[in-house]
Amino acid sequence: MDTDILEGIAEVAREHLGWDGPLTGDMRLIEDLRLDSVRLLTLAAEVENRYRVRLDESDEAAIVTVGDLVETVRRKLG
Amino acid sequence: MAETLNDYLLRAGRLADGGLRFIDRGEQAVWVGWGEVRERALAVAGGLLALGVAPGERVALVFPTGVEFFAGFFGALLAGAVPVPLYPPVRLGRLREYVARTTRMLAACGACLVLADARVKRFLGEAVATARPSHGCRTLADLPAGGLPAAAAVAAGVRPRPDDLALIQFSSGTTVAPKAVALSHRAIVAQTEILSGSWHDDEAVRHSCASWLPLYHDMGLIGCVFPALARDASLTLLPPELFVVRPALWLRAIGRYGATISPAPNFGYSLCLSRVADADMEGVDLSCWRAALNGAEPVAPGVLRAFAERFARWGFSPAALTPVYGLSEAALAVTFSALDEPYRSGWYDREALARERVARPTPAGGSGAGAGEPGREIVSVGRPLPGFRLSVRDPHGRELPPRRVGRLWVTGPSLMQGYLGDAEGTARALRDGWLDTGDLGFLDDGELYLAGRAKDLIILRGRNHSPAEIEQAVDALPGVRAGCAVAVSWLPEGAPGEVLALFVERSRHATAAELAALPDACREAVLAATGLAIDRFEVLAPGTLPRTSSGKLQRSEALRLYLEGALAPPAPVTPLHLARAVARSSLAYVRWRVARRGKGLP
Repeated sequence: MDTDILEGIAEVAREHLGWDGPLTGDMRLIEDLRLDSVRLLTLAAEVENRYRVRLDESDEAAIVTVGDLVETVRRKLG
Repeated sequence: MAETLNDYLLRAGRLADGGLRFIDRGEQAVWVGWGEVRERALAVAGGLLALGVAPGERVALVFPTGVEFFAGFFGALLAGAVPVPLYPPVRLGRLREYVARTTRMLAACGACLVLADARVKRFLGEAVATARPSHGCRTLADLPAGGLPAAAAVAAGVRPRPDDLALIQFSSGTTVAPKAVALSHRAIVAQTEILSGSWHDDEAVRHSCASWLPLYHDMGLIGCVFPALARDASLTLLPPELFVVRPALWLRAIGRYGATISPAPNFGYSLCLSRVADADMEGVDLSCWRAALNGAEPVAPGVLRAFAERFARWGFSPAALTPVYGLSEAALAVTFSALDEPYRSGWYDREALARERVARPTPAGGSGAGAGEPGREIVSVGRPLPGFRLSVRDPHGRELPPRRVGRLWVTGPSLMQGYLGDAEGTARALRDGWLDTGDLGFLDDGELYLAGRAKDLIILRGRNHSPAEIEQAVDALPGVRAGCAVAVSWLPEGAPGEVLALFVERSRHATAAELAALPDACREAVLAATGLAIDRFEVLAPGTLPRTSSGKLQRSEALRLYLEGALAPPAPVTPLHLARAVARSSLAYVRWRVARRGKGLP
């Protein structure tokens, strides 16, 4: 997994979601990060903002874990 | 004088400053005049008629905030069909739940066609396959274009009559029991005239509105769009998902475009307090904002005060704060507080409210409410709008005098026809021309004060949710006694918004390991199923939750007992017990607030 992107997403989580624990690729956004709908929205928008990418619904349908999000961003940047 | 929503559209577009302004995340604006909205709607109407959509048939609309929503919405109306706005999927996950909800709502409204944004359409396949609308799911571009010329189609088409349905809105999105509120043109026009009549243009001011509210929500659609259309005025729109992430853009749009009216639920004001930085407000002037309407969820006095203090620096006037009350079953608004005065609140004896259901005024407390003061502060939501009447009734249906808490009934010119396809539910809600709101409240000096809900409804961030959906999410978890969970929400004193609590009875066979895992398991299950975070959670012994004589769980009674600290196997209530309960609930609130702050939440 792209550790730079993982670290970037961890920063987004710290800054905008108040997440102060470690962040690993296998963590699930809803069950493990405990993100409600507003915070999921915030995460998506802040990640888009940081990486200047646009996630669309077909990308998002496949995103369950932090690792999925990292991978999607990497693909978009690639 | 307009008799239908169609009349408004057909005559709009005469004034150059009338139309829609869409703001994107780069704060760029796209302007679409009402005349162009009408042209686009006519094209859609032509397509719908060519497709064979018949008058009175329901057309579901799933669009983000944008001009396509309006083309589809008004296109359906011009074709004589009944538009049903549904919400687009939330971001990042929970698609299964989204599909399930949408399927239920499509079935409940009996849609013959789903019109959707191209991006959204890809996700609706399963919902459409299950609900099987006869004309399937299409984007606007997929509609047949070569049919009747649009204008001729409309001229030839059946003009709706005032008592025909104009719109169906869901009072809460849910997989369990969606309530499809059916509103006639007569009701919508009456509500629109009442709202439009509240804004008087003169030489000094031409009223205009700015809104981030979703267009599938009554306050966004009926409260903002229709009055702007009826007045041929401008409406500035931000997508709700943009507001949630960048609430400053709402305030900046109000200032930049000189909006005089902008509504939001309590949650919106609260979010501005926690997520708008001073730097975001540089150069913003909010002095144009005359009516900061606040409705759709209980109004927290602390949020009003904090908002007025914080944003005074940028010209915000406390007189703009306007708490209001309404519900989708009444098309929208029922009461408004005075438009040009600061909001009003009253202090009432907490114990008398809870125990005797009497609103006994007490001296005003400090600015922060707390259990140490005998009084509880309640914000007035004002007086009935023209044509509306209020009646506070006891459980036997007898009208109560002022300052007695009871169930609020309302009557007025914009009540729903009923819940579509639910005669039983309609008969419960509408009696002799009066609507049972399910809200509890009292009148004082002619003004309405709300004091909780008798109906089973969760209201979070201005949106309604069915408790059954939350309860079902945990029903099958190991350790939970099947069918014995209760979800409730309420506005604790001093809190910035409603909190969500879940009470579950443990199974008699639950193991210690299951019980230890239960809180986390329940939180995860509810988040995954509904996107809602549980604020408070209690595991109870079997048989603790209050039930009716027929064994049905009583949610509002469970909440009442919980707040009294009495949600436990029967125990004598003593003054000491009560005092302890009060101390416990205020301590729980402080803990909750600290925990939320720790998580960076408002």
